[in-house]
Amino acid sequence: MEHPKVEFFTTRTKLEAQREQTVDVLIRITPPVPKPDLSTRPNWKGRPDLNLSLVLDRSGSMEGEKMIRAREAAMFCVDQMLPTDRLSVVTFDDRIEVLFPSEPVTNKQSMKDLISRVMARGSTALHEAWVRGGLSVSERMLNQGINRVVLITDGLANVGITNTDEIVSQAMGLFQRGVSTSTIGIGADFNEDLLMPMAQSGGGNAWHVVEPNDMQHIFQIELEGLIAQFAHTVSLSLIPADGVRIVDVLNDFDLTETGRYRLPNLQFGSPLDIVVQLKVGGEEVGTQMRLLDLRLGFTPQDAKNAEVLKQAHTVEFATRSEVERSAVNDEVIKAVQFLINARARNEAMKRMDQGDFDGAQAILGRSLSATRAACADFASAPAVMAECASLEETARSLTDRLKDKMSRKKLAYAAYNRRSGK
Amino acid sequence: MTQMVLKERGRKYVGLPEFARAGEQILAEMGLEQARGTVTSVPDERTIRYYMAEGLVQTPEEKQGTASVFGYLHLLQLLTVKKLQAEHLPIRKIRELVAGKSEQELETLLGVGSPAAKKTRESDAKRYLESLLAPSAASPPRQAAAAPTAPLPQQLDTSASWKRIEIEPGLELHMRSDYSPPATTGKTRSLLEKAIHRLRRLRG
Repeated sequence: MEHPKVEFFTTRTKLEAQREQTVDVLIRITPPVPKPDLSTRPNWKGRPDLNLSLVLDRSGSMEGEKMIRAREAAMFCVDQMLPTDRLSVVTFDDRIEVLFPSEPVTNKQSMKDLISRVMARGSTALHEAWVRGGLSVSERMLNQGINRVVLITDGLANVGITNTDEIVSQAMGLFQRGVSTSTIGIGADFNEDLLMPMAQSGGGNAWHVVEPNDMQHIFQIELEGLIAQFAHTVSLSLIPADGVRIVDVLNDFDLTETGRYRLPNLQFGSPLDIVVQLKVGGEEVGTQMRLLDLRLGFTPQDAKNAEVLKQAHTVEFATRSEVERSAVNDEVIKAVQFLINARARNEAMKRMDQGDFDGAQAILGRSLSATRAACADFASAPAVMAECASLEETARSLTDRLKDKMSRKKLAYAAYNRRSGK
Repeated sequence: MTQMVLKERGRKYVGLPEFARAGEQILAEMGLEQARGTVTSVPDERTIRYYMAEGLVQTPEEKQGTASVFGYLHLLQLLTVKKLQAEHLPIRKIRELVAGKSEQELETLLGVGSPAAKKTRESDAKRYLESLLAPSAASPPRQAAAAPTAPLPQQLDTSASWKRIEIEPGLELHMRSDYSPPATTGKTRSLLEKAIHRLRRLRG
């Protein structure tokens, strides 16, 4: 079994001797690239089998472009699947209908015919529809494949159980029993405070479709993500050495019941950046010091049991002038700044919720200036330009009260994506 | 590691020294490192006594002569405590996590869940979801594929399809239209027994 690669980076390679300091450590976890060699694993098609249920909102507000695009996206999904995969489709408004129960994707045309007849009407029984989708999946659980419900909605749960916390904790309950949940929110009127935590606790992905046209693209990423999943149930513990203290983990991960950080699923070849801030006492010049021990727990997609990867990071202390002369690692600066921006976005959301739009705008403005200052030496890097453009655009949209719902969603999803390395 | 732990199922360890040795062997295999030397990595008899006093490992009830007889549950408790200590959890938190847990739950915490435990996963997810549905919605929804032109039910479970039969004033039997009554005397009897059982429980 191939392991993910864990690398540690600090802003400068060495730390300053004889001075207490705050050190940003970038931990980059890179899952392996899948090998084309198929001989090692019998029956391995290069991806796990999928057992999906698409839970599709057909309430009145979906009428028009959104419904058309959602149907197209669902049909696209059918086209991407293999006969060894299983698919069911559940549609909902105030009533729930199993369009077709979980079955192998052998007759694609008849599945697509059924999907093509889905029309918008009624209100939104989101919770029960999600449960029905889960039931379709749970009836045919794959032990080593991926069991997932994909919930697609543009609205608020307003029929049946509507309590956000309750639904979120149920999504976690279901994930602990082997079925994950992804959510796709469309437009400006759905509840991001439900859909995002639901996917996070549910072990899946949260997507925001801004334009109906993006739907197919999002579906494609979700499917590629499923196919490329390397490991699930990923957790991290960080144990600082004597004299070292963890000040902050900038990703704001949730904790598991055993007090470890709960990490997102790992995708083949796609790295996850984690930034931890440490308080370190200064040692003598030339001293090598073990800073941090890391334990990464994960369950590989094609294995039954969890594995643990252990690694430590050691640094050397040097004189102040030597440290100052050494090169600065842009990757660390960028990772730190982007995660701080993720927090700022959440703070701006809070201000918006309190009606303080000027305050929210000011926060984003400060993040923009801070990002420009911190990344001045590599301002033309695509990631930096994209980050600045996103901050600018959201700050600008905050001047228009008609765009509030959309602005809040953009803030929420940008912060979420950054933290979970998407 | 998994096999090492699972093959201990059903084993008994007579006396504390034998129990400590079994724990020691498996822990050595698990390779748990304890940081900073604050926690001993291999539990000696004294440590196990301390764990029992702290309620981390249950005190065995079974005795052989004067020796306590430890079992698989005690072993899992010991291994879990050491594992969680290696993860720097405080004793208080460990006690919360370990106390009252079944063998299967402890196996899961240890990450050695057996194939049998995995097998129950399917029904586990299903049972969980079924429990989340409101009782009024417990019957499956219609399948559109079967009859796309038929009118849809207003609710998942329409009351129209239920028949009410009064047994005596204050007690009714509700029967769904598609229910077929028991065909044999034996089946009728077992149904009555179920009813008697339920009624007894009501009486407390």
